[in-house]
Amino acid sequence: MALFRTAEIIKASKLPPEGVKLSRMIDAIYFIPIAYFGVFATFHMHFDLLAGDWDFWIDWKDRQFWVTVTPIVEVMYPGAIMYYFWTFYRQPFGATLSITGLLVGKWITIVLAWYWWANFPANFVMPATMVSSALILDCTLLLTRSWMLTAIFGVWAFAMMFNPSNYPLFAYSHQPVVVDGQLLSLADYMGFTFVRTGTPEYIRIIEVGSLRTFGGHTVWISAFFSAFISMLMFTIWWQVGHFVGQSFFWVKGKRGVRYRKNDIMIVGTDEYALRHGTLPGVPAPVLEGKS
Amino acid sequence: MNTKNILKFCVIGSVGVATLGLTLVFNASPAVAHGERSQEPFLRMRTAQWYDTRWNPGKTAVNDEAMLSGKMHIAEDWPRAVVRPTRTFINVGSPSSVFTRLSSKVNGTPMFTSGPMELGGDYEYVIKLRARLPGHHHIHPMLAVNGAGPIAGPGGWMDITGNHKDFTNPIKLLVGGTVDTETAGLAQGIFWHILWGGLGFLWIGWFMVRPMFLIRARVLAQEGGDELMNDPADRVAAYVMLGVCFTIIAIGFFVTDSQYPYTVPLQAGAPLIKPTHLQSDLTMKVLAADYDVPGRALRMTLTVTNNGETPLRIGEFTTAGIRFLNKVGVANNMDPNYPAEIMALDGLNMEDDSPILPGETKDIKIDSRDSLWEFQRLMDLVHDPEQRFGGLVMSWDDSGNRHINSISGPVIPVFTRAQG
Repeated sequence: MALFRTAEIIKASKLPPEGVKLSRMIDAIYFIPIAYFGVFATFHMHFDLLAGDWDFWIDWKDRQFWVTVTPIVEVMYPGAIMYYFWTFYRQPFGATLSITGLLVGKWITIVLAWYWWANFPANFVMPATMVSSALILDCTLLLTRSWMLTAIFGVWAFAMMFNPSNYPLFAYSHQPVVVDGQLLSLADYMGFTFVRTGTPEYIRIIEVGSLRTFGGHTVWISAFFSAFISMLMFTIWWQVGHFVGQSFFWVKGKRGVRYRKNDIMIVGTDEYALRHGTLPGVPAPVLEGKS
Repeated sequence: MNTKNILKFCVIGSVGVATLGLTLVFNASPAVAHGERSQEPFLRMRTAQWYDTRWNPGKTAVNDEAMLSGKMHIAEDWPRAVVRPTRTFINVGSPSSVFTRLSSKVNGTPMFTSGPMELGGDYEYVIKLRARLPGHHHIHPMLAVNGAGPIAGPGGWMDITGNHKDFTNPIKLLVGGTVDTETAGLAQGIFWHILWGGLGFLWIGWFMVRPMFLIRARVLAQEGGDELMNDPADRVAAYVMLGVCFTIIAIGFFVTDSQYPYTVPLQAGAPLIKPTHLQSDLTMKVLAADYDVPGRALRMTLTVTNNGETPLRIGEFTTAGIRFLNKVGVANNMDPNYPAEIMALDGLNMEDDSPILPGETKDIKIDSRDSLWEFQRLMDLVHDPEQRFGGLVMSWDDSGNRHINSISGPVIPVFTRAQG
């Protein structure tokens, strides 16, 4: 068997060469301007509403809430998008598409809103990245071909890898400084030094709660907790994808009664034409092995 | 849709686009204040009562240091509608970070994080700033109260000259070395975003170069379609990508860990700031007060007793950061740099302005009258949920010693001249 099955897949689609060419045009139009920009715009809004401040400000990125909240929120949208791309096309890039889309939106915001408009330096509003986690999630789905196993293993890794993959970006901000006789992290000082009129210090949620008491390993305890909630969230949002991505259409039966039909994926295929008839003047197809 | 309708829509659309364009050209002036006048009067008059505010110096160049300082009295008569100041933060109200804040002390205690303040307490704040963005900026001290929001103090203008590109904000690290808060960690942040973003796009690109949607959907609908699309090349790519991800994460983590062996978590303590209290030989009680709406005046009758040994004269009434002075106030407490737009130099009138003698008790009628009541939107007091006012009354003896009393009481609106 060949390593690449592209030719076999194209052949199995039973599309003529013009149809194949047209489908690639549809791919381009559908994927870039519609799917990608749609996802990055909506996911960006969704994420900023639920976890925006943790990602905006360097002095919000604590060992507990940042590590807990970010993966939980970032796994939601990919769950639904992965359902859609996997179920209908067997495409394993839903999570990567969502997270890179989110980052495209974030960087547009950083440059235009935070840097150019509000004059904050980009390091102060540097977002976290979860692209590595998303790649792991997509690869898990491709290899297991099971959303349940993906939820258990892929999402677990998705959340657990959040802190180590972001440590190289933000470790510098945890270096200690002393100002006016007080010990602060550099991130605390940056949050203090860059004046934010509408964001007073008390809005931060820094290690509130009891998760940190387990032997001081706050980050890993939080990541574990986040992983379990992320599994639940992924499952829920996979089902959200199922709910909003249901494929059905209404068919008018012989007695004029309309009913719902759930196999829209065969619309346009020969099987569909055989089952439901063809338009006037179009001959019925003949399938191999069927008469 | 016929040609006429299309033409109509084109005309309407053109007018819309032109309107938007004109709006942006003529009306997109930069915001220069912070909506402090939109805060309700009871919030501004009966929470943080600001006085002795200084913006020093008024003109700086980029990288120069400046000071925002002053005092605030936390009103005893704190409104019921506002959450008590159990968690507060002294802040700077400015259009973005035009200054960086180097230090912030309240009654001598550094205030990097939020802490409680006491009703009736008096707090002196000193905020050290460094000029960052050139321009003409309106700067306020601000008390942020958790649950109640920011309470803006008086706003003054500060000018910054120079070029933002020259700005640096170095800070010494405890472990040695200095970093600039403008650029620290920026290059490595961008590097890691490009690296992971590149890998992400590479992964998507791997599937983009082959038929993506229509063809795969058609095949998937067929018997055996699922198995056909389990491409061995994709499985190899997935294993490689997993290996690459875990390897890069591990290398990045351990190299960074060795690069920064000494780190501390974010700090979130609460400073305990000891309040001071207003000093005055006078005791004051509000007997009656009304607000003359057409006359733009707050008229108070106070019972005042001098418990000290020197005669005292009332010279200033200040509320919501707005100062009403008479000759005594001007002679003793006139700061030429205080913004003229929030100061009424002859705004304080008394029927009897003779000094209050030691041991004397008398009723004094004070009238603070100026258009500032309307311009600063304090006349909206009549629409507040609590018809009460508050403020600070300042008096001086002949030696120039100041005595400050915090007063508050119910206020009755007078809507017409006939009524007054």
